[in-house]
Amino acid sequence: MADLKILAVDDSPTMRRIIVNTLRRAGFNNVIEASDGKDALAKMKIEKPNFVITDWNMPEMDGLTFITTLRSIDEYKELPVLMVTTRSVKEDIVDAMKAGVNNYIVKPFTPDTLKAKIDQMVAR
Amino acid sequence: MSSTGTPQVRIQKEIGELTRSISGMVTSFKKLRRPLVESRDKMPQATDQLDKITQQTEVVTARMLDVVEQMTQREEDVIRGIDSIREQVRGGDLGEVETLAQGLIQKATDNLNDAYQIMESLQFQDITAQQMDHAASLLQNLENKLHGILKTLGAPGAVHEEGAAGGSRKARAFDPHADYVDRKADQKDIDSFFAQKER
Repeated sequence: MADLKILAVDDSPTMRRIIVNTLRRAGFNNVIEASDGKDALAKMKIEKPNFVITDWNMPEMDGLTFITTLRSIDEYKELPVLMVTTRSVKEDIVDAMKAGVNNYIVKPFTPDTLKAKIDQMVAR
Repeated sequence: MSSTGTPQVRIQKEIGELTRSISGMVTSFKKLRRPLVESRDKMPQATDQLDKITQQTEVVTARMLDVVEQMTQREEDVIRGIDSIREQVRGGDLGEVETLAQGLIQKATDNLNDAYQIMESLQFQDITAQQMDHAASLLQNLENKLHGILKTLGAPGAVHEEGAAGGSRKARAFDPHADYVDRKADQKDIDSFFAQKER
């Protein structure tokens, strides 16, 4: 768990801080932040995270495009990706799954839900 | 056959009625201009107002987060410090201090939990910001439509480019259904949906 390097992608600075603090409390101290998909792709090249948490609605590059781009790169095909978004319409969830999301949390989330999802995804 | 009944007279009469009708329409359009111009001018103000609310809630939320982060840091320090004292006094006859220390640890732990609960609640800022972005986007859309109508009517001030009334536009990315309470799908349903995929 300690060696998990998480990339948190969200255009809202408030949400990024909440996610980082929630992760820190859950014992995940190695967290990098990105403000949208484009920024995330750039940071991935340098930081090489082994877990991604991403929002959907973001300017520049949204979460779905980011994940689709990510999955087209061999290196990131198996990378665990957790989507944390306000979008709770079933069609959206299906689209996210098709794009390559491994798990999905609807905002507002509880710290327990976030930790449980990460633990579950890492255990696989 | 009377002269008023000839086709020529009838056509003249109809043309006259049509002219009066068009004249009436022009008068109506002229009357429409002012409220349309006023509405068009109010749209950017309303959009700016929504943006202001978003900015202000973000500033306030950031301040609250600053405080909560300091609280959590202090509480963590307090828990560690008291724990260390407890370890040191364990060897001596200081039973009351031990009880006190335990109580303090409990209070600090409760504070820590409360602080994280406040942090969790602050997710409202992202959700309300998306709701306001949605409203602002609708207003911008209306503003553009009004601008189109005014341009057609040849109203003064309608020559500027679409959206120019609001200056440079903010890039908006939002979920139109974002809601703090009313979700379209429960987390449990989503979990079972992904669990099925795994099988």
